[in-house]
Amino acid sequence: MRLPRFDYLEPANLEETLDLLSTHRDDVKILAGGTDLLVRMKKGLLKPKKLISLKALDELSYIKEENGVIKIGSRTSLSDIIHSNLIQKKAEALFQACEKIGAVTIQHCRGTIGGNILQDNRCHHYNQSEFHRSGRQACHKDGGKICYARDEADRCNSTCQSDGATALMAIGANLTLAQKGGERTVDLDNFYTTDGIMPFAMESHELLKEIAIPIQGAKSAYKRLAYRSAIDYPIVCAGVLLKPSDTDKNKIADARIVVGAMGRAPLFLAKASSSLKGKNLTDKDAFKNAADISMNSAAPFAVHNVGATLEYRCDMVFEMVFQALEQAAIAVKK
Amino acid sequence: MSDYTIIGKRMPRVDSRAKVMGKAKFTADLKLPGMLVGKIKRSPYAHARILNIDTSKAEALPGVKSVVTGKDTEGVKWGVFAYTRDQEFIQTQKVRYIGDEVAGVAAVDEETALKALDLIEVDYEELPPVFDPMEAMASQTELIHEEFPNNVNVHVNIDTGNVDENFEKAYYIREDTYVAPEESYFQAEPYAIVARFDHEDCLEVWCPNGGPHMKSKPLSNAFKIPLHKVKIKKITIGGAFGGRSEICPVDYICALLAKKTNKPVKIEFTREENTIATRQGHAMITTHKTGVDKDGKVLARETTCYMDGGAYSSTGPIATSVPFLSMEQVYRMESVRYNGYRIYTNKPIRGMIRTHGRGFACGLDTQLDMIADHLGIDPVEMRLRNCRKPGEYTSTKSYVDSCAMDETIHKAVEKSGWKEKWGKLPPFHGIGIGTNSVQTGFPMGIRGGSQSFIKFNEDGEATVMSGVVDNGQGNDNMLVQIAAEELGLLPEDIHLVSADTETTSSDPGSYSQVSTFVGGHAVQIAARNCKKKLFGVAAKVLKVKPDTLAAKNRLIFVKNDPEKSIPIKKVVRISLLNFTSVNAEGGYWPKVDMTREWVKNPYGQMCEAFSFGTTIVEVKVDPDTGQVEVLEVTAAQDVGYGLNPLVLEGQFEGALTMGGQGGMLTEYHEWKDGRCLNPTMLDYKLPLACDMPKINNIIVESIDPKGPYGAKEAGMSIAMSAAQGYSAAVSNAIGVYMDSFPLTPDKILTAIKKKKQQSEKK
Amino acid sequence: MEKIQITLDINNKPYDVRVYPNDTLLEVLRDELDLTGSKESCGEGVCGSCTVHMDGKPVRSCLTLALEAVGSKIKTVEGLASGEDLSDLQQSFIDHGAVQCGFCTPGMLMSADALLNVNPRPDEKTIRKALAGNICRCTGYAKIVEAVAHAGNPQDHCPDCKTGSKTVSKTKE
Repeated sequence: MRLPRFDYLEPANLEETLDLLSTHRDDVKILAGGTDLLVRMKKGLLKPKKLISLKALDELSYIKEENGVIKIGSRTSLSDIIHSNLIQKKAEALFQACEKIGAVTIQHCRGTIGGNILQDNRCHHYNQSEFHRSGRQACHKDGGKICYARDEADRCNSTCQSDGATALMAIGANLTLAQKGGERTVDLDNFYTTDGIMPFAMESHELLKEIAIPIQGAKSAYKRLAYRSAIDYPIVCAGVLLKPSDTDKNKIADARIVVGAMGRAPLFLAKASSSLKGKNLTDKDAFKNAADISMNSAAPFAVHNVGATLEYRCDMVFEMVFQALEQAAIAVKK
Repeated sequence: MSDYTIIGKRMPRVDSRAKVMGKAKFTADLKLPGMLVGKIKRSPYAHARILNIDTSKAEALPGVKSVVTGKDTEGVKWGVFAYTRDQEFIQTQKVRYIGDEVAGVAAVDEETALKALDLIEVDYEELPPVFDPMEAMASQTELIHEEFPNNVNVHVNIDTGNVDENFEKAYYIREDTYVAPEESYFQAEPYAIVARFDHEDCLEVWCPNGGPHMKSKPLSNAFKIPLHKVKIKKITIGGAFGGRSEICPVDYICALLAKKTNKPVKIEFTREENTIATRQGHAMITTHKTGVDKDGKVLARETTCYMDGGAYSSTGPIATSVPFLSMEQVYRMESVRYNGYRIYTNKPIRGMIRTHGRGFACGLDTQLDMIADHLGIDPVEMRLRNCRKPGEYTSTKSYVDSCAMDETIHKAVEKSGWKEKWGKLPPFHGIGIGTNSVQTGFPMGIRGGSQSFIKFNEDGEATVMSGVVDNGQGNDNMLVQIAAEELGLLPEDIHLVSADTETTSSDPGSYSQVSTFVGGHAVQIAARNCKKKLFGVAAKVLKVKPDTLAAKNRLIFVKNDPEKSIPIKKVVRISLLNFTSVNAEGGYWPKVDMTREWVKNPYGQMCEAFSFGTTIVEVKVDPDTGQVEVLEVTAAQDVGYGLNPLVLEGQFEGALTMGGQGGMLTEYHEWKDGRCLNPTMLDYKLPLACDMPKINNIIVESIDPKGPYGAKEAGMSIAMSAAQGYSAAVSNAIGVYMDSFPLTPDKILTAIKKKKQQSEKK
Repeated sequence: MEKIQITLDINNKPYDVRVYPNDTLLEVLRDELDLTGSKESCGEGVCGSCTVHMDGKPVRSCLTLALEAVGSKIKTVEGLASGEDLSDLQQSFIDHGAVQCGFCTPGMLMSADALLNVNPRPDEKTIRKALAGNICRCTGYAKIVEAVAHAGNPQDHCPDCKTGSKTVSKTKE
């Protein structure tokens, strides 16, 4: 499969990269590992005039702990994350999520955490060849006015299937977006639009520079369901964080439940999360209740567009949330 | 049997070395001087009339060397059988599925060729499409092919008589319907073809094929050139699984582009094209009605199967019959009636595939288990009571000679620990058994036999010529092994020339399980004839009678006095000095009933041998997610004689992975208005290394009296017995008999929930 | 769009080649340099048939631009053997019947080779995980896993382990 034409730019450092971004804006795309971008380009879903390769930007490849915050450079490979003691011990959900992405041979030096978070939304009516998409009206995401996943839908219902995003949102990560002459920090909670066509609140001249995870004395877990155990996107996933009370280690002071692959963005479920406040870590019924609320909250967002039946995926929200909560609770108790 | 030196041994395959070095050339690896890139323009509509095709813009594009359309084909229709000629190589009137060929382009590079495709303007008038076979049969809208009323492409009717009477006598009768969607081959190598016309106007073609002669004849017809002018050349092939047996429109289009441009043309399919525009396995709706006596013996069976055939006939009559044949071979039935309907729909074309009907076979075994359950009989015992025995006739009057069906059951039962496990496993932990059979070939008229030539070279090595093709399963090695064994040479002394229509004789092809039985047999006979000549010369030198001689390790020696010997190389040279070359031929034609025909007369001797097998599967089901973990699979197959256990085990393991792990758990297609939603390897879920269970292989030998060394088919049908075993194991684990395949987690979970609700009601 | 002159270091040899920015490493290997051992099966990074090493790590050459490979040490299946001498892994694939149609074999070998370079004695689970990104449609993986486990570590009980019995290329008189 042939890639469409483009010019290739290989800036030597971050500054040059931001310069190029600011000059070319909508004409360019950032090339990190290429595992999402190049596939979309091969399918003709995207035809950027220029690609900016981050090949030389080793400065964006790091994992470190500073002032109670884990900082990860956006070009850090998934493999580096999986093998990081710091991530394994203090950002369990991220570790568990990255382990499930692709396969060892994809994760190694190619797949990056930045690329994973910024992977485009997917839909089995959209992520198809140009031939497949011909002979029918274009869908919303493809520049048209129709949705094949949900009848009569007035907007795109593509699904965010990023493992990394779901896990990171659960553990309260924020992103540093750099642009020429400045940068801003945005909570992952606020990073997503509800627009399936352009899922991220990010400008074309901005570059995802860093992911920061606060260390909160909490434990996290990530669970996902897919058809097979590798090279597969999740059909439903859940990231959770449980923070024990300072006074009573067996009580939950705060919880975060995020469900992924069920809508246009990872879904932070406030009601389900707050239902756990003050509950005991061994309270299975509380977990079940939270999982139940999660299922009811997430289900309306999902459409049948990433394989498996919709009913099954909705059911499985309960399972993934419940299992993740149990796993996180065990980690807290340790 | 221990007399063999090379046969029966775990011999590493002769083709492996080139493959591990990256030297083996597949079609896409070929590069010929001046070669152009070809691409196919396909229909984006499921059913439409072609009003006009304008190629002028495409032709004007710099770098485009030729554009061909249906006008260039003179509207000739092709089909495997005279009565199924329904497909033009490039459509002129109508398109019948999304992917149907409407034009071809040859250009200097891929980018130009793709651009040219976009510049071809086709005006269509859309017609109402039909995607469901039952709707297609009842459809009042325009027929997909006007010559076929009710969109019924093929109807196979088999009736042994006494069916209704035997149902009357039955102690217990069940009728159940089973469904399964389409499946795909996903050969590792996407289809590719290179074609050119040489300086003598001969058409040379390189492409994956299930038999080169099956490609050359239709091309010779289509181009109206003598058969000898079509040269299908040998090339490494990256898998077939039944999907590369026939000629495809792309073969014709590529050759036509080569002819028009007078240059070599290469067409490589994308993964999507390989999925939608080659062949797929049929979707099926099968109803089995079975009547048994008190002991569970099948007295009568009536099976009706509706198969979604897609847009064209392909091997329709064969595909409509084989699921039934597998059933009638493996199970005895006092009487049976079969009605198989292959129905046209506006979906991709369905052909032969390794697993002949998941819904059919798994349905039958599921129903047997249900009947056994009702009668209080163990599933193993149920099969032993009904399975085929040697010396019997099948329902359609084929004599079954060698048959170790019950031995495969006994051995699989023992190895899997069935007796300790059946009925004793914890909840959501199950074990199941599947049994199946496959025929070794079928009547193919003048192409039913294979012929081999062997010549000795002056260095004492031999060149073996055979029409047998290797699709990846190891046929080349099989031929070399047989020749080396018979000639007393080492495998490295055998030079194989095969699967080339210019130099090798016709052969049935490698898609009906006859490569060893017929093609290998021919090589064995040719080699024995050649050896006779060598022994004649050697006997004179050694001053003994030829029948006292044997050959091994490049030597001919006296059997009772092995010290007395002469190198084969020397024998060859002596023969040449005596004005005689050392060569021979040999052929094998299975004695089948030539009057047997798929539709007109489906009775009589089908083939000379049948293989039989049993697969037992143990699984654990997660009751919360419906996901299945397969713990262990045990496959026992009666292969007649194991020519090479190393290769056989590979066949067993591959077959159960495709038929069981993939075919019964994860593999199926999803559609939207005739568009395949999962044509790629990302979305069509093939099993991975990390998903596979522990596998036990058991080679069972029945020494077929007609097969070479007693060998017959080598494990293809494990794809079916595994599918059946997998479904039985899942059913056993969840306590629900499933009727819709494959058994995906959502279906399993729904079944578990439903059962729970029912038991709560009680 | 113009071609760009680059030098690629492949199997310890420099190759000067002119490429377009949109040429993948796989296309350059196969079409420009006649290194056709690496295969394209899916073209979208799923099947692993195009796996090569970049600086010792397995990558999908179908999703790697040729330009991105400049400056890296690239190893392809053609670089596994030393001349006619097969590597232990290649020999083990032959001896254990791990090769059927052979189309996935080059990629499978490269993933396995990368594993063995960092972990010479991997257990079965590790091997299966390391090969999870390589799809084989013929073998069911059993013999491939055995071949990797026994590469360089022949085991007495294994009927197919033939220590020191390397197949030599056939030399004609």
